[in-house]
Amino acid sequence: MKLTFALIRTSAGTSPVATALGVAILVGLFLFPNFVQSPYALHIMILFFLSTIQGEAWNIIGGYTGQYSVGHAAYFGAGAYTTMVLMQYKQIPPWYGMLAGIGIALVVSLIIGSICFRLRGPYFVLASIAVAEIMRLSAMNLKDLTNGAEGILITEIPVFKIGETVVTDFLSKVPFYYIGLVIALLTILVTWMVQNSKLGYYFQAIREDQDAAHSLGISLSIYKNIALAISAVFTSLSGSFYAIYIGFIDPPTVLALDISVQIVLICIIGGIGTIWGPVIGALVLVPLSEALRSNLIAQMIFKTGLTSEESGLGIFLKEHLAHAHALIYGILVVVVILFMPDGVLGWIKKLTAKKGRG
Amino acid sequence: MGTILEIQHVSKFFGGLAANSDVSFSLEEGMIMGLIGPNGAGKTTLFNCITGYYPPSRGDVIFKGQKINGLEPDRVCRLGMVRTWQKVRPLAKLSVVDNVMVGALCRTNSLKTARELAMEQLKVVRLDNKPNFLAGGLPIGERKKLEVARALATQPQLLLLDEVMGGLNPAESDEIIQLILDIKKRGGITQMVIEHDMKAIMRISDRIVVINSGEKLAEGTPQEIVNNPEVVRAYLGDFHA
Repeated sequence: MKLTFALIRTSAGTSPVATALGVAILVGLFLFPNFVQSPYALHIMILFFLSTIQGEAWNIIGGYTGQYSVGHAAYFGAGAYTTMVLMQYKQIPPWYGMLAGIGIALVVSLIIGSICFRLRGPYFVLASIAVAEIMRLSAMNLKDLTNGAEGILITEIPVFKIGETVVTDFLSKVPFYYIGLVIALLTILVTWMVQNSKLGYYFQAIREDQDAAHSLGISLSIYKNIALAISAVFTSLSGSFYAIYIGFIDPPTVLALDISVQIVLICIIGGIGTIWGPVIGALVLVPLSEALRSNLIAQMIFKTGLTSEESGLGIFLKEHLAHAHALIYGILVVVVILFMPDGVLGWIKKLTAKKGRG
Repeated sequence: MGTILEIQHVSKFFGGLAANSDVSFSLEEGMIMGLIGPNGAGKTTLFNCITGYYPPSRGDVIFKGQKINGLEPDRVCRLGMVRTWQKVRPLAKLSVVDNVMVGALCRTNSLKTARELAMEQLKVVRLDNKPNFLAGGLPIGERKKLEVARALATQPQLLLLDEVMGGLNPAESDEIIQLILDIKKRGGITQMVIEHDMKAIMRISDRIVVINSGEKLAEGTPQEIVNNPEVVRAYLGDFHA
């Protein structure tokens, strides 16, 4: 608890208003399911936690250490597949599967790191993509283990018991909400701990200038691998969590390139190399992609009266806007990258700084 | 006074080009060694060979009695030898004090201790008035000082300075000269300095090694070097010799 307070205090400055706000948000998040029963609202929140975990995890290697991995689907998939395969074929409960997933992701990260970290800049990016693609193709073809393109479907999650007491039976979304919330808070806490330790300084030194860092006694291979390992652990956790929550995985949904890109975007949109950047990124991207997918935007345009539902434009919007969600999403991402090079968080900081001066 | 660094017949080839060929000399503890030579003579390449950025193609580098060729730069740094960069390399998005802390963390795991050590070194180079400035926003004179402070923070026994006065105005150069002499006076740190400013190098060096086209041309006290006809010829051409 002391650590939580310290976390809120240092990241928001020492202002008591900010501290109070932080505590209020935290309490609000824990009480949220008591007030909101709508499964859809809970679903959005769970997706938000999932994106936060992914974003914070990537932030360690990409944001702090400056190694832009576009192959994080490898660790996401490693976590998801390990958990699901163990549950499906060995009836091992997912919490043990999560731990096993972390182990596998660690091994994968060390292998990937020892190969890819010999490369720098764009070559590292390409190598990271290649390794994730190898994982996807392997999952596609190792049919005995992964069920190939058919994927793995689970219909029942074993009841979570401590001793004889049933903690939860996973029949509603509420337990998932709390698991997601706790893991998300954990990743933020770990990021905070990294930032305020020797590791954080060394990671950032490597990001700013590898040769200078090397000359100051920093072993590039060791510290890059540590950063990747931390990142892989949490990405794998998010993969396990996703798999249990959705109940179905196949190579395109957990190992594809767009998962990797999505993870990177959370950070770039929010602001890389900061504790709250990925949270902001998730806060922007999750509702945005949901709104676009569910035709919410067309509905909003009709409500403002700009055009009616029956007019030609209205029919066009209703028919096509939902299908164009990827396009609109892409355009928005480009706009953010062009006009907010430090992400939404950086943009907000710049605005408030200007106001402070004016 | 023992020998701290011995360079024995070091050669470095890039393809067919010999950037260094058969260079040998040694440094006594506590001295300031000047390393001079025309542009492209191979001075920075020699620094890179000594500090582990390139393994020498031939020959040995012996630091405190231990053979260090083939060691990575971070190992060399932890053994007590650190270099600065001719083209300064500030960690641009970190503050001045954080830059120096990265150096200090080489010897400690505690951020608090590292911060104290860093502030100490900033005082030495007189940058302690702006610890929270972003390193990327400093003017060149202060970036050069930051390089030195960051290197000193790793607590070296041997400091290699690659053109710390390059691009500075006379007043700033004087400050750096004073800084180098101060470091010598405090003791415990041997220095090797690459420099083009002849007046400066003559003033600070105990001994000077002259390199030309990758080979050692001469070695001696500053007085011996200015009177060496070979050196004058290398710098000014046959007419003056």
